[in-house]
Amino acid sequence: MANFALKDRSAIVGVGESAYGRKLMRSAIDLAADAIVGALDDAGLTREQLDGLVVSFGSPIGADGDTLAQVLGLNLRAYNQTWAHGRFTGSCIQWAALMVNAGLADAVACLASVSFSAVRRPMMGGGGDREGGREAGGGHGEDPVFGMTSPGAGAAMVARRYFERFGADSRALAAVPIAFRKHASMNPHAIMREPFGIDEHQRSRFVCEPLHLLDYCLINDGAACVIVTTAERANDCRKSPVYISGMQPLPAGREEFIWSYPGMGIAQQSVFEYQPELQAVYKMAGITPADVDALFTYDAFSILAWIALERWGFCKPGEAAAFTQNGRIEVGGELPMNTNGGLLSEAHIMAWNHQVEIVRQLRGECGRRQVKDASVIQWANAFGDSIVYRR
Amino acid sequence: MPQNSYQKPLPAISSLNKPYWDGLRNRELMLQKCNGCGMIWAPPSPLCPACWSRKFTWTRLSGRGRVSSWVVFHQAYFRSFEGDLPYNVAEVELDEGPRLLTNLVDIGNDAIRAALPVEVVFDDVSDDVTLAKFKPRAA
Repeated sequence: MANFALKDRSAIVGVGESAYGRKLMRSAIDLAADAIVGALDDAGLTREQLDGLVVSFGSPIGADGDTLAQVLGLNLRAYNQTWAHGRFTGSCIQWAALMVNAGLADAVACLASVSFSAVRRPMMGGGGDREGGREAGGGHGEDPVFGMTSPGAGAAMVARRYFERFGADSRALAAVPIAFRKHASMNPHAIMREPFGIDEHQRSRFVCEPLHLLDYCLINDGAACVIVTTAERANDCRKSPVYISGMQPLPAGREEFIWSYPGMGIAQQSVFEYQPELQAVYKMAGITPADVDALFTYDAFSILAWIALERWGFCKPGEAAAFTQNGRIEVGGELPMNTNGGLLSEAHIMAWNHQVEIVRQLRGECGRRQVKDASVIQWANAFGDSIVYRR
Repeated sequence: MPQNSYQKPLPAISSLNKPYWDGLRNRELMLQKCNGCGMIWAPPSPLCPACWSRKFTWTRLSGRGRVSSWVVFHQAYFRSFEGDLPYNVAEVELDEGPRLLTNLVDIGNDAIRAALPVEVVFDDVSDDVTLAKFKPRAA
């Protein structure tokens, strides 16, 4: 019997970010300082009260956690950082929630910081491709020998498989980046704010067919941070806590591929009709998908929004193409997604910007793009991890 | 320039996957087959991913399969692929089960279809390395 004793026992109490931009001419460490200082200020906590740090997307591409602790003069009881992969965003917050409840730390800053403009290219896909050089092709299923490089190629492979299996197409998929760009148009912090339509999506060049340029996220500079503490300590902070109500960790194995759910038949996955039962994150939070007021997901590529909707049971396999049409995933629709504009249009901060937006939505701080009466928001990914937040 | 100056990335050959690459040199598509449960798998493993038996045999496969998915690159991440644009990369599901990433040859990118029957061709790209590519075959 699962033990859900940690339901609502931890909370995010502060969020912060740097400026986001294509080329900020600032190092990842520099940007991280803005996000951490901002998040502590938002929480009403001091540097001395911060005793834990989890750096997501750390070395060798993002801000190195060891360096951060040194140069910011932090005094940490608990510290960790992850491989430079965006998949670990939810895991970092979950570890922080476990740490504060185990008494290993009181307040944990969780963040990612990137200065992609300062990284010598190519960083992913190309001559320096450490990812594709991993023995089983790495998490993105790459193989440079055949020119199968870059994270987007794996997503394109899933998109083609999905189109063929369920009869969907690129025009239907355009609804996802169009919706997120609309959200970004209401977000002054977003990098890409000009709305576009289906024709513009279709005219944008192919990068890895069937995905167009407008199916791809941004490559940019920026940092975003959240502060996690216990529910008890959260009451003493400056603003209303956002509780971590449900958690589901990141799966791995032969039936998993980063950009698809089991049964899709990508890489070494089996082929079967995936039918999600009520996932553990809902059982822990005591809700069902119908209770979710807004859904946030790792949208490095547009197809991931469809995969996430089906993986988490918001619609059945093959139905996401229809589900995402006619404004249903836009603010004001039945299930708003990525109201910040996502990785596709706000910024690619490994979705730490999404966590910041979730907290602000649950506090009612989002102005024109505020989801009315938002009380339960879910972070849930194509790759199978999730957090349910509530105010 | 020496005649065999192949510019594209070459595989990282390890103790685990060396029999696979040696097989291709000998015009044989080889993967591991478990002596216990019979599973045939890719990529190479130190033990059977299904039953964890360490008793396995590198086994010659039919070299036949079907396209399970594919993409077409319109952007090169390696300069050595620039001249090939637009080029395809496919996942081929072998008749024996495992899927391999590969390039499809003797077919236009627009003619690629799901479930297209294909068979292996051996591409000697350097003195030491042969790649398994696939071409269409009669069903």
